[in-house]
Formats: sequence, structure tokens, C-alpha cells
Amino acid sequence: MLRFEVMILSSTTTRKFHKDRGLVTRMYFTMFMLGFLYAIFALFLYAAGTAMIFIAPIVGIMVAVQYFMSDRLILMSTGAKQVSSEQNPELHRMVKTLADRYEIPIPKVAIIDTAIPNAFATGRNPKNALVAVTTGIQKRLTERELQAVIGHELAHVANRDMRVLAIANFLVTLTSFLMTMLFWNMLFGGMGGRRNNNGGGVMMVYLVTIIVYFIGQLLVLALTRYREYGADHTGAEISGDPGALADALEKISGTVNTIPDKDLRKLQTANAFLVIPAALKGEGSMNLFSTHPPLEERIRRLRELEQRMRYGLR
Amino acid sequence: MGWFSGSKTPKNDWSAMSTVINTEAKLQSLGGITPSRRAGVIYRNDEEIPFMKEIKSELNSVLYIGDGATKTAFEIEDDDRGMRWIVLEDGNFGDLVSSVYTVGNAIGMNEGSDNLLAAVFELYFTGTVEDNTYRSGLRTYWIYRYDRKAFYPFVPTGESEGERDRQTEARLGQDLRKHGLTIEKSLTEWMGLWGIPF
Repeated sequence: MLRFEVMILSSTTTRKFHKDRGLVTRMYFTMFMLGFLYAIFALFLYAAGTAMIFIAPIVGIMVAVQYFMSDRLILMSTGAKQVSSEQNPELHRMVKTLADRYEIPIPKVAIIDTAIPNAFATGRNPKNALVAVTTGIQKRLTERELQAVIGHELAHVANRDMRVLAIANFLVTLTSFLMTMLFWNMLFGGMGGRRNNNGGGVMMVYLVTIIVYFIGQLLVLALTRYREYGADHTGAEISGDPGALADALEKISGTVNTIPDKDLRKLQTANAFLVIPAALKGEGSMNLFSTHPPLEERIRRLRELEQRMRYGLR
Repeated sequence: MGWFSGSKTPKNDWSAMSTVINTEAKLQSLGGITPSRRAGVIYRNDEEIPFMKEIKSELNSVLYIGDGATKTAFEIEDDDRGMRWIVLEDGNFGDLVSSVYTVGNAIGMNEGSDNLLAAVFELYFTGTVEDNTYRSGLRTYWIYRYDRKAFYPFVPTGESEGERDRQTEARLGQDLRKHGLTIEKSLTEWMGLWGIPF
């Protein structure tokens, strides 16, 4: 499956901001539909008797177009509007100052008009990078925290994470594409070969295809998580203030907001409040597949770094 | 002391509560907090229970009589939410914690285990260690919930319900856990106590 190469600040859904899913879902839906379209198109060509030699370049061109158009596709699917330095001088100034510190070209700046606090960076290389923030995150965070968030996104750009991810995705897509073709070949005996009656062999190839695809996906996700910690770390080193991003993540994740308004004296009996077990919160199982490492873990690492920097134990 | 030898399992848990002694000492050695002197035990008063009816004389004998008695000064205060506070003051933090434990244990062992709510320690940050994070003079309470057998920080910003500095609390919770305090893991259980009488 094809993917957008986007580094999103936080893809974690929280009770406070359920709609946070929207941004991520729209991106992935668009990408899924595109991948689906490619697959249908390739299969159609294949069924129509086009030789593999022709199908491969056509699909290749489509993938390339997506790669080079991805920033525009992302803007479209997220509703992000690019803003000029006249329209939003403060944000531009902040991005420029940070970009200088990272020694990268000043990226394009976009704003998504939504109360949900989030941010992302995209672009196939630093020259074509784009940083987007939601109006919600601007409203919610202090300047120091917003700087940390943009710093984190620029770290992705500077580390060329989008390209790393694109290559990884490409390899996974290519592998599964080749495996699928092999599978269809065995099933229908294409390319003029004799029909293969070995049903067990077909099943094997099919299974291997699925396993390869699955493992590939896991590797890409692990890679993404790893780059996420990396960007947190780079951002902290550049700013010298790991606590700022930890504060921002705490704020936007809404975990802090689970600290109740309620007075302890309102509890009637000792056992009345052992109500909702942690299992109902549905965490844990998502860890393996989520692109972002758990926020708690990121915050923990940032706090640790903060402590180390403060005591000079680098 | 007879209070510790009863057959009924005491409701509070020394191993969890005593972690506060080391945490306080560590933070003090780092220069992060000023020595703490005050703490309190809050419980739902019930005059039907003989021990609670005679709380003052009972606590006098518990805290002042016998070898190793901590002789911690205490006061009894009722708040406007129908709860009774035993406010304790002691220059020696180890003794203070020991007295808090003794008071809670005595109440718990004398039909009051379901009435015990929390033990609360008051600590001030000086800001010299956590200068980025905690402002100097920040007053924090470390609440120990008897039913959860764990602590959590409480930083009220006002007198009315809901007024608290959640971000500082979350941060403090992580730091305190790092320094050995048994912290309540579920943030939803970090219920406040507004209008603490000390």
C-alpha cells in the first residue's frame, strides 16, 4: 500500500480530542484509495492482456506522480491552507528562526482551521518541505511550546525522515507488488506459461505474500516510531529545552486533563470509585501498529533528557 | 504499642506511605524543597464510634505515651465539608510521617477503616533544583489515599473545587515517582482536597 510521507505530531486519539482522528484518517483514506486505484488499474491492464513489461512502468509513473505531488495531495486531504508571511508574520518568523537553526531552507507554512491541536511536516526533501499547524494548537500552546512543536517537525525535515519513510514504503510496496504478480501468474498461468495445477504452491506464495507484506508494514511502523524519538531528541538538542516539547505533548494529549475536578470528600464509600478498569481505555494493543510511540513514553524520555541536561550529565 | 498487634489487617500501608521519607530526603539534598513540618489525616467523623468520640484523649495516649512516642503536636479541625482533620506538626520529618501513620492506623484499627480518606503532607519548593519547572515558593500537597495506598501531588490554585494546576501536578508526579515515591498511576484518581486547613 502507498503511503503519504507525513510526520504528524500526534496521531494518538484521546478522550478529550476524539476528532483528532480526522486529520490522520483523511490522509490515510486518500492514500488507501489511491493505492486501491493503482491496484485496480494494474489488474485491469493485466486482465486486458497487457504485458508486465508495460504495466510496471505505468504503475511506476503513477507512484512517481504521487511522490512529487504528495504535498499538494496532503494539503487537499487535510484542508491545510498555505499562508504567506504577510498573512501570518508571527508564525513565519518563528518557522524562519528555527529553520535557520536547523540550517535548512525555510519551509512552506500552512494552517489548518480546526480546534484540534496538531501539527505535521511533509515534503520529499528540505527544499520542498511544508510545515502545517492547526489553529487549535496555536491557541492552546505558549510560544515556547509552539516553538518546540515546530522544532520537532523541522527536525523531521532536517533528518530527511520523509525520504527515509518513502524509501521504506517503496520497498514494501514493491515487494508486495512483485509477490502479488507472482501469485496471479501462478494462478492464471500468465505470460504464456503453462497452467500450474499445484494448488499448494499457490497457497504458499499467497501466504508468503501476506507475511512479507505484514512484516514490511511492521518494519515501516517501527522505523517511523524510531524516527519520532529521533526528532524529539534532535528538537531538544537544538532548542536545549526538552521540557518544552514534553509540556506541549502533555497539553495537547489531554492526559493532564484526566486529573479530575472532583473533591476527594465526595467519595461516599471507599470502594465506590474502583469503577473503570484501565482495560476499558483500550490502550496497549495499539502500540505495535501505531506510527507514533506512546505519548507517555515520549514524554518520559523528554523529561529524562531534561533532567540530564539540567544536571549536566549529557 | 497495642495498635500494631491487632488481628485485623490495618487499612493503611506502611511500605507505601514510608516511601515519602526517602523522597523528601532526596529532594531536600538536591535543594529542591524546604523541610516539611506539617501533615494531616482526614477522615469522615462518626460520633457513634467510641474512638472517634474520644479522639483527642485517644491520640494523646497514642502519640505521647510509651517509649519511642513521637510526641508530635496535633490539632483537631472540622472543615465545612463534614470532615475531621488531625493536623500534625513536627520538625523531624521521619517522626511526622511516623505520627501520621500511627494516627491513621489507630483510627483504622478502631472501627474507622472505612472512614479514613487520606493523609496529606505539605511541601514547599524552593526552585533551586527544578528551576525550569517549579517556581520558587510553590506550595504542594502530597496526598496519600488510604484506599489506593498511593500518593499523588496536589497543587491548588484557588479555594473552590476544580481549581488546580494540572500540568505542574503531572510533572511533579513523574519527578516524585523518579525519586521513589509510590505514585497513584491513574490520573483520574487524583482527586483534590480544596480548603486544606493547614
